[in-house]
Amino acid sequence: MSFKPTLVVDQVSKRYHGRSGVQANDRVSLTVPPGQVVGLLGHNGAGKTTLVGQIVGLLRPDSGRISLAGHDAVAHPGLARQLTSVQVQTNCALEGITPRTAIRTIGRIRGGGRAEVRARTDQLIDALDLEPWADRPSEQVSGGVARLTAFGMAAVVPGVLTILDEPTNDVDPVRRRLLWGQIRGLAERGTAVLLITHNVREAEQVVDRLVVLERGQVVAAGDLAELTDQGRIPLEDAYIALCGRPHDQAPPPASDPDSTTDLDRTTDMDHTTDPDRSGADPYHSSAASEEVRS
Amino acid sequence: MTTVIRQFGLYLGWQFRRASQIVPLLIVVQVVLAVATVIGYGFLIGDAPAPVSLYLATGASTVSLVSVGLIMTPQTVARQRSEGSFDWVRTLPLPRGVLLAADLALWTALALPGMILGLVTGSVRFQVDLAPAPWLPLVALAVAATAACVGYALACLLHPMAAVMISQVLLFSVLLFSPVSYPAQRLPDWLRQIHHWLPVEAMADLMRSGLLRHDFPVQPRDVAVLALWCLAGAAAAVWALRRRV
Repeated sequence: MSFKPTLVVDQVSKRYHGRSGVQANDRVSLTVPPGQVVGLLGHNGAGKTTLVGQIVGLLRPDSGRISLAGHDAVAHPGLARQLTSVQVQTNCALEGITPRTAIRTIGRIRGGGRAEVRARTDQLIDALDLEPWADRPSEQVSGGVARLTAFGMAAVVPGVLTILDEPTNDVDPVRRRLLWGQIRGLAERGTAVLLITHNVREAEQVVDRLVVLERGQVVAAGDLAELTDQGRIPLEDAYIALCGRPHDQAPPPASDPDSTTDLDRTTDMDHTTDPDRSGADPYHSSAASEEVRS
Repeated sequence: MTTVIRQFGLYLGWQFRRASQIVPLLIVVQVVLAVATVIGYGFLIGDAPAPVSLYLATGASTVSLVSVGLIMTPQTVARQRSEGSFDWVRTLPLPRGVLLAADLALWTALALPGMILGLVTGSVRFQVDLAPAPWLPLVALAVAATAACVGYALACLLHPMAAVMISQVLLFSVLLFSPVSYPAQRLPDWLRQIHHWLPVEAMADLMRSGLLRHDFPVQPRDVAVLALWCLAGAAAAVWALRRRV
């Protein structure tokens, strides 16, 4: 059964001008269908957040096309923001506001009705086990609770597309699982979810499909079975083969299934020392770009 | 329209809650700045003759309104940009005009206590009988909104650190090198010509006319200059908010 994708990113390029002149996105193509969680995997500086900025109209692509529910998101950024809810990577500065009030207010700003938003807020607070902190000012809660609150703000009235940028940063292992359940729940309600992460474990747990971004380019795309050679290769190894890894750091122990595998700590951020990837892995051949399929 | 008004109210409430912890401190700083301007100028001038007293008594209110918009607004927006919350707010489905209007309403409200106490202090210190015009609140709102729009646009367009530094230079310029608490005739000709086109002199003149309407008649040129800066400032702020690099 095929669905018309909610989000279509087609050959999008974006270069930051200035002294360093970084090519943040280079002909990036991907699709996110309704009811699916698509993971965008890549380490810091890979161009993930730049892509989000272009989808919601904070940045303008140099070239390419972004379509959201059939609308041109580049030409109509205001409409794109109505259709998309975003959990940004940075904090939302919630000082003075309790988690419950924050989630309710953003739900109302996103156009939800009062009763509907109240019910959904209470449901999210319960599902994420936030009740003990729900009515405390946010400056008195931990970073993990603030992060879950930010997820609640994105999920309360999710729109047709929800973008989650590193949603589990600072979240403890127990609540991380609860959060993953809620992300899957969003997809089951028909929302297209773009999950941006550099946490391989998270990608394995939550996503239907995965797009790997490296130095602004899509270097691999597919479902987990495709990317792991039908499960014969651990996803983390496949990822490292695609994106490089440090010369002298061993990957973190994989004994804890909930441990955050922060690839920023385990991969080489100095791209000048990237290993030659051509022919070294079975995924590179499919890496050129994900075809835009409708 | 109903949706826009509802969004304005919700976002204003959000911003007010966020600022609630520092609002008392901000108001105290504003009041101290306004009162200190009156008292400090009094020390500088000594026993001021009547015409000078009128300028000193009314100048502090303009300084208070302008300083919130040109100094505190850019500093706050610069901080929000540095911490990332500014970009998050811009992902919300709020028209850019609503974002700006809610912030302006907040900053204008914060400027009012300092303005009022500065006026009271000035009239007592320099024994000036104020004669407020009925349109004074409108001018005060226009002055506060214009200053905040210009400050907002600066903060959106400049690097956050540059915005903070420029805001400090602006405070210095408004306090000492603008014809707010003294007549423009005291300035060198070249600086007077510059102020002829900048908004601060028009702001100060109109506030003075509104407070002492029998002594300082309204100059139509001041109205035109303030209106132009108000519109240009709002347009620049909305453009800066909409801008996609």
